[in-house]
Amino acid sequence: MLPNAGQVAKKLLDVGILAAFLIGASSAHADATLDRIKARGKLTVGVILSGAPFGYIDPKTQEQKGLNIDVAKALAAGLGVELETQTVTPPNRIQFLQQGKVDILIANMQYTEERAKTLGYVPTPYDRVGGAAVGRKDSGIKDWTDLKGKTACVSQGSNYTQPLIEEYGAQVKALPSQPESLLALKGGNCDVAVHVSGTVSLMLEDRADEWKDYAIIIPSDLIPSDSVIWLRKGEGDTQAALDNIVKSLHVSGKLIEFARTNRLPSIAYLEEQQKKLKDGSQ
Amino acid sequence: MSIVLKQERAKQLPFGGIFAAVLGLTVIAWLFLNQSLGQVLLEWLPYLAKGFTMNVLISILAIAIGTLIGIVLGVMELAPFAVVRAPALVYVQIFRNAPHLVLIFAATYIFPFELVIFGNYVPFPDWVKAVVGLAIPASAHIAEITRGAIQSIPTAQWDAAQGLGFSRSQSLRWIILPQCIKRSLPPWMNLYASITMGTALASLVGVHELLHSANDASTAVQRTDFTVVVYLTVLIAFFLFCYPVSRFTQYLERRLASR
Amino acid sequence: MLDGFTTHFIDLMKTVGLNFEFLTSGYEVRMWLDGMVTTLVLVVITIPISLIFGVLFAAALTSGKKWLAVPVRAYVELTRNTPTLVQLMCGFLVLNMLISNALGGAQNNPLTPFFWVVAITGLHVAAFHAEALRGGIEAVPSTTIEAARAIGFNSLQILRYVELPLAVRSALPSIINNLVNLVKLTTVGSAIAVGEITYASIMIWTQRDNVVELMLVILLFFSLINLVVARIGFWLEKRLAVPGFGQ
Repeated sequence: MLPNAGQVAKKLLDVGILAAFLIGASSAHADATLDRIKARGKLTVGVILSGAPFGYIDPKTQEQKGLNIDVAKALAAGLGVELETQTVTPPNRIQFLQQGKVDILIANMQYTEERAKTLGYVPTPYDRVGGAAVGRKDSGIKDWTDLKGKTACVSQGSNYTQPLIEEYGAQVKALPSQPESLLALKGGNCDVAVHVSGTVSLMLEDRADEWKDYAIIIPSDLIPSDSVIWLRKGEGDTQAALDNIVKSLHVSGKLIEFARTNRLPSIAYLEEQQKKLKDGSQ
Repeated sequence: MSIVLKQERAKQLPFGGIFAAVLGLTVIAWLFLNQSLGQVLLEWLPYLAKGFTMNVLISILAIAIGTLIGIVLGVMELAPFAVVRAPALVYVQIFRNAPHLVLIFAATYIFPFELVIFGNYVPFPDWVKAVVGLAIPASAHIAEITRGAIQSIPTAQWDAAQGLGFSRSQSLRWIILPQCIKRSLPPWMNLYASITMGTALASLVGVHELLHSANDASTAVQRTDFTVVVYLTVLIAFFLFCYPVSRFTQYLERRLASR
Repeated sequence: MLDGFTTHFIDLMKTVGLNFEFLTSGYEVRMWLDGMVTTLVLVVITIPISLIFGVLFAAALTSGKKWLAVPVRAYVELTRNTPTLVQLMCGFLVLNMLISNALGGAQNNPLTPFFWVVAITGLHVAAFHAEALRGGIEAVPSTTIEAARAIGFNSLQILRYVELPLAVRSALPSIINNLVNLVKLTTVGSAIAVGEITYASIMIWTQRDNVVELMLVILLFFSLINLVVARIGFWLEKRLAVPGFGQ
């Protein structure tokens, strides 16, 4: 049967309405971020609360704590504005930044070339981390290459997905956030869970009884890369202002102090950066 | 045709209620036996309760907005002019078939985070976007309910009303609509229950509702037994809210059927 | 040829402001197409499962045997009054972990996320089928049942040859409606890493900025599936219609 004119018109209308619904609302991005931050007197930072030491809710006071929060506070103080945090998850953080819902992201998000194509970032990193693989001690996995054909759980939006699939031939299962991924690991739905190394090592240490059969089973980190603060592309002023603050946090030893109070497993990188920046500034 | 109903139907026991009581008592007994666990749950209950108020708020606003828009669309679907009818039909067709989760994703990621109204920046927070995401399918379903209800009234009633000297709008107001409301109440309440349950999906876009709060709590406490209890608590909370709604709907349906 | 078509399509979409750039990345396209296939597989598997269990539940509910009816009724009420996503999390994250512990370790637990989505959504919708069928079974006139008993049918035969055929006809509109819901429900699988189309789209849009484009495709995809489900339902309704019954 040939479609008659009415049906064709209906189809066209279908597409038109969808497009109107979807596109019409899509273009309202904020710009001139630094001016806006100053004008509002408020810096909105997207932070991730996937666990200590980077970001978590204190079980006692139910307040947000962690390195991400401390860095965010220091940045707001450096700009002379108030801090507002917005919790984000790996699957929604880029959209929240692009929409302008948050001004910057301090969200366990390491530098990758792919990300740098669509987003801007503060050149001086505030930490350097890679992915650690948690798995059963008796799993027999000892190296990243052992993951071929094995299942790895990650967070949706994790930068470990692509290397795990393309370089090591692992089957990747991405869950909405780190807690779900770790529960899936415990339930036996994956052989390893790959997350930012600091969070998992601290968890294994703090919850030794719950995790007694598990360990970080691969000694090296997956794609260790710089933890940077992300912002929208082309916001040079904000970028420069934040870069100065991060540099001064390195030089003054503040970042090392944050790392110590939040019990980061390794502060070697921060000490090295401090030395480098101090030497450079003399 | 006369239908003789089986007798069992009349004396249906509230099995669901019994079930909830058993489940609840099991959890309470467990917490009693393991007091440290009960202590932790008690500490987190206010946090979870705050999350659940968000679910209730989202569901109420979504059904309210959905109902208003849906009734307009339902009437449009019956309009004598194709120009009015077509957009309503297309809207209903698309959004009735679209997964709630996808519409929540769409609303969250596509709408801007704030709106400019008369030069003022008005924030457009995530939970409001979740309201929009659920109001869209709700309105599509309500359009169908409205259309069905209006069509279910025999046209003879319009004629009879006219014969009694009612104008068209008077007969709509005093004769047709009251019957429509009665007939569409049970499906409307079913839809409300379904929307309420859809609010849990908002956790996936980061709205701090009950499921999200449970996840936060489980991450912070990091105890297997607590994780089990906290997720069971979420299940029970939704059940305690939705089950009475569903019982009342069944009661209305039975009353309507017995007429 | 295909590559030419793809670039042409990407250019065409660019003119209307849509970014389909990801179609040039083999890794992402593979994931995306796999996602569509997985959604279709989920639909094809869960529909019969929901129907089979719907009939079983309805039979249990109307059996008059307490030990059968009570647990099924409890399940039906629980699943109808709690969010599927919460059930899925309870199943996949909690129950699955307890099962693993009971089996003496995760390596002995064969249950995958795919299993959990099929089980939770399939049985959830089965409960709705069961309610619809129960209504239909209970509406069968008692005189008809008596007549069947008089010609020597036992209660299973009555269910099979008298009650179900009539109940299916009166419940068909609700069942079709439930199936449309089932198709939509399969998207919750994305929350536990079942690689269906929503999951694949999330994986792509978290690395790029193209939510709108992927969303359009998802909406059209589900509209299409549900159009087919509704058409088949409509055709069945017409085919099964018994003159003079249910009017």
